[in-house]
Amino acid sequence: MKRAPQEMPSDAGFQIAPMIDVVFVIMLFFMVMAGAVKVEHELKTTLPGNAETSTATEIPDEITIGVSENGQITINEDPVGTPQDKTLDGLFNEMTKLKQAAIQSGSKLLITVQAEEAARYERVINVLDVLARADINNVTFAVAEPE
Amino acid sequence: MAGGGGGGDGEPEFQVAPMIDVLLVLLIFFMSITSSQVLKVDKNISLPVASHGVKRDDKAAAGLINISWDKTTGQAKYKLDDRELDPNDKDGIAKELQARKGTNDKYRLLIRADKECHAKYISKALEWAGEASIENIAFSGLNREE
Repeated sequence: MKRAPQEMPSDAGFQIAPMIDVVFVIMLFFMVMAGAVKVEHELKTTLPGNAETSTATEIPDEITIGVSENGQITINEDPVGTPQDKTLDGLFNEMTKLKQAAIQSGSKLLITVQAEEAARYERVINVLDVLARADINNVTFAVAEPE
Repeated sequence: MAGGGGGGDGEPEFQVAPMIDVLLVLLIFFMSITSSQVLKVDKNISLPVASHGVKRDDKAAAGLINISWDKTTGQAKYKLDDRELDPNDKDGIAKELQARKGTNDKYRLLIRADKECHAKYISKALEWAGEASIENIAFSGLNREE
């Protein structure tokens, strides 16, 4: 079998035009991907516990936010919003008011998020997210013992 | 006031070399912002949305506990980084966390749990943190809906 003779180009140098094409395509890919990028955020809390101090300490205003198994949110056992409400605007308004009141009175605001054992983690995060939105940092998380 | 640049008599030519420089810089920029996470995360976990949280600080020392949720059995599975944990071995896990923490008071435990997971399983991870004297806890969530 005879092979057709191949003509070698006189100058097979580096071609810039196809390289630019490829770089453009790769860049477009990353630009599109950058729009859909999902970043992990974190919501900071501390563990509830007893602090041993030798000096007298100011006792902060403590608010307990309950998260029930069906998704109902309560503030000191008073229901807020509905279990289906994801934005939790009612809770946000209450928290903003409490934050303002704490700033005006010069006291510290301490929030304890207490979830029932079978409460969904997503609902707990909804509450912690609202607290972050209301700029409340002094948050502890605990799970209620079954009665 | 003198005008800058130019100086040539003819038409300004299109310069390929600076254009390639700019393209490569843009390419590197977009590649870097779409890069993967540094910590060993479990991709099977469907995280809830926490749009108001702070961006995760991968530089600060942190232990990562992945809690996945098995819908069929209704049970959670724990992983410390990418190693599976036995939830009954409370002392062993606490010792390992304690060793990782060392003397670093700012060490924090990062909890990545599936959104379907029940709070009592989260509580177990918090117990381990308490045993290891880790006070700073952070919960992971996504910046937007999946």
